[in-house]
Amino acid sequence: MNKAGSRTYVRDALFEKPGPKALKKIRLVTALSLAALILLIFLVIRQFYITGQLDARYWSFFLRFTTWRFLFIGLLGTVEAASLGGVLALITGFLLMLARISKYRILNILSAALIEFTRGVPTLLFIYFFFLVVPQMGIKMSALWKVVFPVSISACGIVAEVLRSGVNAVPKGQREAAISLGMSEAATFLRIILPQAVRFVVPALISELVIVVKDTTFAYVVSFPDLMQNAKVLISNYDALLSVYLVVAVIYIIINYLLNQLSLYLAGRMDVSTVNVAEV
Amino acid sequence: MSLATLLEQYGEEYLIALLTTWKLTAIAFSAAFVIGILVTVMRVSPVKPLRVFAEIYVQIFRNISGAALLILLVYALPYLNMMFSYFTCVIIATTLIPSAFCSEYLMSGINTIDVGQIEAARALGLNFTELVRSIVIPQALRSSVIPLTNLLVSTMLTTALASQVPMDPRELTGLVSHINTHAVGGVVAFFVSAFLYCITAVVIGQVGLRIDRRVRILR
Repeated sequence: MNKAGSRTYVRDALFEKPGPKALKKIRLVTALSLAALILLIFLVIRQFYITGQLDARYWSFFLRFTTWRFLFIGLLGTVEAASLGGVLALITGFLLMLARISKYRILNILSAALIEFTRGVPTLLFIYFFFLVVPQMGIKMSALWKVVFPVSISACGIVAEVLRSGVNAVPKGQREAAISLGMSEAATFLRIILPQAVRFVVPALISELVIVVKDTTFAYVVSFPDLMQNAKVLISNYDALLSVYLVVAVIYIIINYLLNQLSLYLAGRMDVSTVNVAEV
Repeated sequence: MSLATLLEQYGEEYLIALLTTWKLTAIAFSAAFVIGILVTVMRVSPVKPLRVFAEIYVQIFRNISGAALLILLVYALPYLNMMFSYFTCVIIATTLIPSAFCSEYLMSGINTIDVGQIEAARALGLNFTELVRSIVIPQALRSSVIPLTNLLVSTMLTTALASQVPMDPRELTGLVSHINTHAVGGVVAFFVSAFLYCITAVVIGQVGLRIDRRVRILR
């Protein structure tokens, strides 16, 4: 494999430089598929048109500043829930990882079980737990925490595994060198291993943040005012369901796309592609 | 509510819910796998419009949230004169999202192959079909076992979306919300469902590890 940067991807190597015959075939298929795609786009727009969804009244309020301000306030709610959830998942994930790699067997087993548990249960079930079950126990909680807790619980297991794969990716010699220089186990871990491990897994952690953002969309279950919830208000104000949900979906896609691109960019810059970080 | 009374009252419904979750997962995963392969073929094809279309497809469905997609399918599509049953909407949503991830995993599986191997195969006189069939696909599939088992688990987790629409029979998450809104099911009702999800996930994971151990390519 070539050095990063000038790396040839397999998909570019798959095909030889096409000869005149193949070139003709490729051109034909290109033309046909282009026509098919244009037809598809046309059909979608036509469907919008004949059902009247292109009417100005469904879209004109997007020209108003207040619409965007209201959506932005909702977005702030999403950001608040996602960042709190992310931080909480990072802290609990870190603790789980420490327990998972500690020398006490009982901690290993306990943390492995917890990790499996959080990874095997859907976020929605955790949300229902905090929405329906927790109040039954007489515990009052604001809507924000009813989103943040379940979202961070379902993320912390993966965070723990990602951190652990980062720790494992630090070469053994680093630890041995630090120990033989007289550093204590704790100092070795905190000052030598952890900083390198974190560097390895930053891209994977950002990808995990995408999952957290996606999970916060369930906030409407507990009526927390996030982007989705504010979209609902807009819909009842303007009686325009399709256009509002479409715009909101696009906003989510753009946010998550940008986060993923950031993760890819950082991964490329650190060239951590060689590190086998757990697939999530 | 104790475990005994809960199971006495809702035991059968839990069984049906578990089977429903499995059924949704099986249908969605198989469909996602087929679509994932098709999209991957488009992404590696030398046809530019298909490549662009497939890239956009993947970016849309790996970045959209399940809730937003399901709401669009259930509540927005009827405005375009397209009505589907709740069940179909759930299947579509839980298929489209994993299909994008499936394609991503297959792409990275393909990219683990050394370009030199392809050059070598060509130098040995293999034509394109032979090359793809005997060099690319076997290796790509072998190195995608673990990601694909993870995908199967996350497909199962995605099927919890079904609890957001009225569906009969209910799946595991819908059942918990049903029990807790009609009776005081409490923590036990939650843990039974969570346990059933977990057991399924652990079994899938273990089977995946076994398969991976047998077919993994050591590099």
